Amino acid sequence: MLAARAITRRFGRTLALDGVDFEAHAGEIHALLGENGAGKTTLMNVIAGATRPNSGEVTLDGAALNAGSPQEALKAGIAAVHQSPMLFERMSWEENLALGGFGRRGRYDLRAVAAEAAALASQLGLKLPPPRAILEQRSVSERVRLELLRALSFEPLVLILDEPTSVLAPSELAGFLELLERLRAEGRIVVWITHKLAEARAAADRITVLRQGRVVARAISPETPERELAQLMLGELAPPDAAAIPKGGSGQSVLLLDNLLLIEDGRSIIDGLTLELSGGEITGLAGVDGNGQTELVELLARVRTPSGGSIRLSARTEAAEIAVIPQDRDHDGLVLDMTLWENLLLEPGLRERFTNGSWLDVAKARALGADVIARYKIRAASPDALAAELSGGNRQRLEVARAMSLKPKVIIAHNICRGLDLAATADVHRALVDFAAAGGAVLLISSDLDELLALCGRLFVISRGKIRETEPAERTPERLGLLMAGAWS
Amino acid sequence: MLWPLIKSAAALALAIALISIVLVALGVSPVAVFAALAEGAFGSWYAFTDTVVKATPLVFTGLAIAVAFSAALWNIGADGQLLVGAILSGAIGPFLGGWPRPIAITIVLVAGALGGAIWGGLAGWLRARRDVNEVISTIMLNFVAVQTLSWCVHGPLMEATRAYPASTPIAESAHLGFYFPPSRLNLGIAIGIILAIGCHLLLFRTSFGFELRAMGRNRRAAAFFGLPIASLTVRVMALSGALAGLAGSVQVASITHRLYEKLSPGWGYEAIAVALVARLNPIGIVAAAFLFGALDNGSQAMQRAVGVSPVLVQVIEGMVILILLAFDTPIWSRLGGRLGGAKGPAHAPALSPDA
Repeated sequence: MLAARAITRRFGRTLALDGVDFEAHAGEIHALLGENGAGKTTLMNVIAGATRPNSGEVTLDGAALNAGSPQEALKAGIAAVHQSPMLFERMSWEENLALGGFGRRGRYDLRAVAAEAAALASQLGLKLPPPRAILEQRSVSERVRLELLRALSFEPLVLILDEPTSVLAPSELAGFLELLERLRAEGRIVVWITHKLAEARAAADRITVLRQGRVVARAISPETPERELAQLMLGELAPPDAAAIPKGGSGQSVLLLDNLLLIEDGRSIIDGLTLELSGGEITGLAGVDGNGQTELVELLARVRTPSGGSIRLSARTEAAEIAVIPQDRDHDGLVLDMTLWENLLLEPGLRERFTNGSWLDVAKARALGADVIARYKIRAASPDALAAELSGGNRQRLEVARAMSLKPKVIIAHNICRGLDLAATADVHRALVDFAAAGGAVLLISSDLDELLALCGRLFVISRGKIRETEPAERTPERLGLLMAGAWS
Repeated sequence: MLWPLIKSAAALALAIALISIVLVALGVSPVAVFAALAEGAFGSWYAFTDTVVKATPLVFTGLAIAVAFSAALWNIGADGQLLVGAILSGAIGPFLGGWPRPIAITIVLVAGALGGAIWGGLAGWLRARRDVNEVISTIMLNFVAVQTLSWCVHGPLMEATRAYPASTPIAESAHLGFYFPPSRLNLGIAIGIILAIGCHLLLFRTSFGFELRAMGRNRRAAAFFGLPIASLTVRVMALSGALAGLAGSVQVASITHRLYEKLSPGWGYEAIAVALVARLNPIGIVAAAFLFGALDNGSQAMQRAVGVSPVLVQVIEGMVILILLAFDTPIWSRLGGRLGGAKGPAHAPALSPDA
């Protein structure tokens, strides 16, 4: 049995965990449910030895673990898969896995590592990157899969997973759940951290709910109704209603992608993609990460040039009226060590607006920052707060606010709700819906089917750089999952 | 802006305290040592002005480092850029005899800035075009600059008598004259302070400065939003080199009036320390350069008065840097959070300039 008792952890003035008790038994999948900032990840870090608690202790089968030592935790059999992978970005995946339990201890034999990893991966139905691929160039989901493999290579007694499904493809989900069930059957403990109610209810044996650093429900049944769980998780805040979503577009075309091609190193990454965006609707593009979405976004952001085809704006649209929200907010979207108002200025259209000759109008930019904080409910002390000081949800609100401030005709949004809690997701969705309702065109590129099904008028699927529009009859998670896996391309 | 200055001051105090322990162990009175140091640096009008003169090249080179480091371009070549700037100034200087003073001085300074800009810009171009790590290229270019200077003063630029390895003196019209002889106080420091203010405005108030800092803190995001990374790299390195080149040119125009080998005692390297202590803040660099100039200037007097080697000063300088780097991020920011001061995020890099 894994037990954490009276864990308290402070970060500066914030109390991240406040006397948390947590228990998980051998042979169970235990969901740890909570909003962003509820303390789930901190609790995981305490259990895995990455964070030393201010007080309290963790025991595994009665033996106390040395707090704050990841090596000890690992030796005791506790392995963790982090939401943002803890990997060596500049090394190949084989080298990364060599640090795991693959291969013979103390021997550096990449071929053995790769072979064992491949065997385990094929058992799990996970796809590995090409040999010797450097992680830097791989997608987040591939990196998380590698971390999962590395964790499993230790044959852990306790496996802690931090929001694993946020980066898994629907087609990988079944294999993943099977894996969890096998771990359970072997008498291991799986702690699954999530903020998705449905997942917790579907897969877990028991659920513990955290809210603002406290346990509000301990080891309750997964039969607990969704509404009740949401209430536990969010407190007074009720889950947001489905907003009035504009389904039919105005039909007025604003942006046409015509037979777009992108070829790199002889591989075609975008393969004859044709798509017309019109005002007044949210067009969805579903796909498993790594099928050309990132490159498509970069083409639309004009940081890449297509190898063929064209991106055409309608007569009344200007290039500066396309706002792009990239998927990786910490790496692509924001400069964390700059202030909130400086991050607004990253967008060239806004920078132009706040530049006189070559001088920045700092006062005006700061005023926009203050305005944006109020309008988009960004929790920040002032426009001078560093982006790094904002929580994930507030960073995303900042990105959305920046895109909206541009007063664009088109918004390209890529996986913008990944890792966000319900409240932030609802805010971001509402902003997109309002934008479309006011006549804007949105291209929502996502791997989250719930989000796409809820918001989009037209829905396309991308696989290996080709896209295909879905029929209304195909818009079920199962059918879409198959299409995303490339059943048609 | 105040908080980082307090941190730097605290690091200095700690370094002095640690040195004092060593001095006591050696049987020397720390009070006498530091009194002699202060006396040598500030004890008289002449001492004070010489501290300013010693600080001047560090202001320019410190600014050069701050500009490049703010863009995450690790320019280790300020020394070489300084020398190339000096060479161009020293080469053109002798021919300015008939020119009016302001024009002659301007030509000498522009030549110096140009020389530095070429040397720095070359490293920037190599980085932008060929992805050559600028740390390596700038260090290598330092060696090239040293040897080029040596060749110049033994060869094409050697003075007329061919007796000394030094160049022909620059024309008097190009001298940055001394205001209060025998003190060597000259216009150089004023130019440095104006440039520091200029760099501050450039970094924090212009769109070029914004792009430079954005690139320095997140190259990927900068590229995503269409910043011209390659051209910025070249321009920033050229600007950094120009500032370093000016250090050489001011030195030639005001103090040496000619070129000779070992023109720089390593100002381009000491500048890295200056810039770090100032946390890359241009205004802070003036203060840090003044501090380093004072230590340098006082060290001679200290040796005469109490017989402690001037190397002690370098030990102090080194310790200040180490203390800053070692204690900066984790401890200081936590302390800051608890004291309710500036909130430092745990991951903030030690080298972030504070506006």
